[in-house]
Amino acid sequence: MAHQAHAYHMVDPSPWPLTGAIAALLMTSGLAVWFHFHSTTLMTLGLILLLLTMHQWWRDIIREGTFQGHHTPPVQKGLRYGMILFITSEVFFFLGFFWAFYHSSLAPTPELGGCWPPTGITPLDPFEVPLLNTAVLLASGVTVTWTHHSIMEGERKQAIQSLTLTILLGLYFTALQAMEYYEAPFTIADGVYGSTFFVATGFHGLHVIIGSTFLAVCLLRQIQYHFTSEHHFGFEAAAWYWHFVDVVWLFLYVSIYWWGS
Amino acid sequence: MAEDIQQKLEKYRTAPFDARFPNQNQTRNCWQNYLDYYRCQKALDAKGVDTAPCDWYKRVYKSLCPLSWVNIPSSPISVSIRIVHECHLLSTFPCVAQIEKWDTQREDGTFPGKI
Repeated sequence: MAHQAHAYHMVDPSPWPLTGAIAALLMTSGLAVWFHFHSTTLMTLGLILLLLTMHQWWRDIIREGTFQGHHTPPVQKGLRYGMILFITSEVFFFLGFFWAFYHSSLAPTPELGGCWPPTGITPLDPFEVPLLNTAVLLASGVTVTWTHHSIMEGERKQAIQSLTLTILLGLYFTALQAMEYYEAPFTIADGVYGSTFFVATGFHGLHVIIGSTFLAVCLLRQIQYHFTSEHHFGFEAAAWYWHFVDVVWLFLYVSIYWWGS
Repeated sequence: MAEDIQQKLEKYRTAPFDARFPNQNQTRNCWQNYLDYYRCQKALDAKGVDTAPCDWYKRVYKSLCPLSWVNIPSSPISVSIRIVHECHLLSTFPCVAQIEKWDTQREDGTFPGKI
């Protein structure tokens, strides 16, 4: 009877990396087909394949870790490194958009009127909905920390309640931001102001949705007793991601909404 | 003061070094003097004073600014052919609008700068 003499996880062969790669191919080529031939079929197919891949791959990780015990301390350490590196790459992603914003706003060209905000742009009042959004995300940072402590202390009901509250705050932010987008007096096509505003805040909003989804999955897992007070890395990863989203918002708020008005 | 301005204008050869714009990119220098000329005109007109001192800014911007940024074409047909040709060389989108001309924009009320 052979068994491994080490604490690491030699993962069983899996089709999901391949389906994920195929999904990426179909989505990118589908995008080109959409642009040139006005058909969204290929892209939609790629999107469905992507969603199926994510669902099944992460389901398998949960099975391997929570049910089969493969996530020993060294394995968990590797997962931690992985999440940290991923979030770091996302930081650089946003750094690019901040670079673009500061490039255009620190030295506004004559075409804009030599001023920022450019001539003709009425920026959003930073002390109205954007300030509320800031409060909402900061509060959600508090509630997710409450969740973490609840999990560590074995307080099941509190963990569920605070995690639900965190997710609701995330959804509230998304709803408020969607309303702001609808009501804004300027569009993405309104010069470099519109471009920098909507691309930066748009990608942030997408990350809020991703983060909320991650937290929602954690909520379902918490309800189904997956987490123990000592071992709940999936939740920690979601909480790190959520804090990252919050920090990005703070930079967006100070730079684009406040200084940029 | 007025005599000094007249002397300066008579001795004018080209735009002098302006320490506010020390680097190679002189766009801001052109833009600032263009604005200053028309702001000066507006301010002195409002006071009912002779606007001759404003001519310094005019000399500077005329020395510095690319003609295509500022001037209304004098001969509409030949110049607009050249402009459309330049436009087609620079981009692949249909060239409907003229390249920006600040004087035209001021007249149309679409000039982005604050005067």
